[in-house]
Amino acid sequence: MQSKYGGYMGRVLQIDLSTGDVKDYPWTDKDRELYIGGKTMAAKILYDTLTGHEDAYSEENPLIISTGPLTGTGAPSSSRFNVSSLSPQTGFISSSNCGGTFGYHLKRAGIDALIITGRRGEHTWIEIDNGSVTFHNADDLWGTRVTECQRLLAEKMSSKRGCDIKFGKLCIGPAGENLVRYSAVISDERAAGRTGMGAVLGWKNVKAIAVCGNHDTPVHDPSATKKWCQKWFRYLRNHPLTGNQLPRMGTAGLVSSMQMRGLLATKNYTEGRFEHFHKVNGETLAEEYNIVNKGCLSCPIKCARTVTVEGEDVKGPELETLGLLGGGILNKDLYHILKWNKELDDLGLDTISASNTLAYAMEANERGLWNNGLKFGDIEGISKIWDDIAYRRGIGNELAEGSKRLSEKYGGKEFAMQSKGLELAAYEPRRAVGQGLGYAVSNRGGCHLNGGYLVILEGLGLNIDAQTPHAKADFTMMFQDLMEMISATGQCLFTSYAFFPGFLITRPNGAIATAANKLLPHLGWAIRLMNKFPRVLAFHLPVFHHTKMMQKAVGMPMTFGKYLQTGERGFNLERAVNVRFGVSAAKDSLPKRLTDVPQDPNDPRTRVPLEQMKKIYYQARGWDKNGIPTCRTLKKLKIAR
Amino acid sequence: MVKVKLFGLLRLDTGLKELELEANSVKELYPLILEAAHSARPGTAVTLKDMDGCIVMINGVQGKKSSKLAPGDEVMLMSPVCGG
Repeated sequence: MQSKYGGYMGRVLQIDLSTGDVKDYPWTDKDRELYIGGKTMAAKILYDTLTGHEDAYSEENPLIISTGPLTGTGAPSSSRFNVSSLSPQTGFISSSNCGGTFGYHLKRAGIDALIITGRRGEHTWIEIDNGSVTFHNADDLWGTRVTECQRLLAEKMSSKRGCDIKFGKLCIGPAGENLVRYSAVISDERAAGRTGMGAVLGWKNVKAIAVCGNHDTPVHDPSATKKWCQKWFRYLRNHPLTGNQLPRMGTAGLVSSMQMRGLLATKNYTEGRFEHFHKVNGETLAEEYNIVNKGCLSCPIKCARTVTVEGEDVKGPELETLGLLGGGILNKDLYHILKWNKELDDLGLDTISASNTLAYAMEANERGLWNNGLKFGDIEGISKIWDDIAYRRGIGNELAEGSKRLSEKYGGKEFAMQSKGLELAAYEPRRAVGQGLGYAVSNRGGCHLNGGYLVILEGLGLNIDAQTPHAKADFTMMFQDLMEMISATGQCLFTSYAFFPGFLITRPNGAIATAANKLLPHLGWAIRLMNKFPRVLAFHLPVFHHTKMMQKAVGMPMTFGKYLQTGERGFNLERAVNVRFGVSAAKDSLPKRLTDVPQDPNDPRTRVPLEQMKKIYYQARGWDKNGIPTCRTLKKLKIAR
Repeated sequence: MVKVKLFGLLRLDTGLKELELEANSVKELYPLILEAAHSARPGTAVTLKDMDGCIVMINGVQGKKSSKLAPGDEVMLMSPVCGG
């Protein structure tokens, strides 16, 4: 359905794998205004489709690949696409965001989103050329690792056309084929890593999707869009974070800072500091292994690393991988982390869940709960473990189930570091309690980003009291809603980090930063008011370029308040889907290690006061005491009538 | 002597990882580090203002610019980082 707005191609394609039918899914401009695109659009489709009786491996469970209106418009860091479905890891709504070029090429094909339902009877890869869908037998691709699969895919696409072509591709590795619960979808070198989307594609018998076309993304006001993009690019390049730290060190640059703040998850989150952190940090990576930084399409930040492993130039590890495969399992060998990172990507495994599941198994072995031979600090044979997980062989078959299910079988729920079944990121939340709240209430499970990423206020950016619960619930809600909307538009969350004026980052001990750090925990009431009455925020913020970009490129009236409220709608939609599948306050939980055991035995504040913060959070969100959005809230957000 | 370890962009910009310096406070360290940085990498853009923004840890405990030092202390200095 053609749109009056810029940024949209006007087609949402519904592909039924069981019947082979392909048709247009009705998606109107009213839907675009309310749900924008990306993960919010996917949440709306899941909300309209799922009844609460499906699971990840149901034919009725759609896998939705969606772009945002800014994808392909040239806006900074806007090449992203989202993969959503029911997660085989959590049983709840999933969403996994990915950079690279697939989103851009999907729009080149004239398509905003794909809704893939049903299941193929044979191994299949899907070719989409300018909106025309062809199913191909994938017996020759099935069983290949990601790199090989993508190479073969390129050969197929080129040989058919008699020349090399530019196209978008995504695929699963052996892990997805074998339904490892935390298997990823990989696109070029980038991963939609979290929540097991690879397994959903694998169950549907889809190995890969290739997409190409020659459509240009329409833009509402091309001249104004170009000017605004140039201004925004300059702003990001001049900002100390997006123009200096991230390009030069990537996310790996955070390891040392997390160490200093006691935030570096060590030995399966028993500690927040790793004795050998200096051997596995971003500085050592930059000095000894990094060749060049790389970035996604139209991204001025270029946060990705390229390193050489076994003579091959490959993507370097992110902070999560460095932290969890370093201190997390007491490994001090950086080269092995680079090697494992490459292997995990090639097998199509999520590095975060794989690392934390391994750490759980090591601790279970140490405690005598599960005699599996795995030991902290003993890195011999880990590569074989990754293979065994991906191919579900021996002990790998058990590890493929993830830490939650293993703890239900062997015991040790208090040290299975997950929430709703999704393993936590590398930030140890007992030194950033707001981040702890975020992990627990995140819709997709233990995710730092869907959780609001409050650690940016609690030591990794600003430095407010990391132990106080004050104002954390209100900030969590605001940041969750902002991130929801940024994702929905097709942009990278890193664009929002420049929200903090540069001097607050580079002069953390200056008078303004010090005052802000002291003041912010007392401003929960003000944030609450902004969250409650976003319409009052009918203006644009000079440090937040996103709202004007939506006006100029999409032509959609937008203010900071409307932006926030649209994000709030998306977050509540996801929650409403989760409620159908049994989410309530009891599921918004953390392992007892984090809530009951202080990280510092001499400081009882170094634990997450989760129940206290949850209560305030539910009130702020307009949910009842059991964490269910009230009818009033759903009506206010136009989710329910 | 005090052992000083540098992290973050401060380390990449100065090219210095570790130093042994004579100082009674963190504040006294800063010009000494700058001096070492300029001789190791002439023309380095690091300034005293940048040093002021550093996160300070002394023997594993959070410190500040005014913190006193004793011989044998280990000081970690890191330029501030954000996001991830």
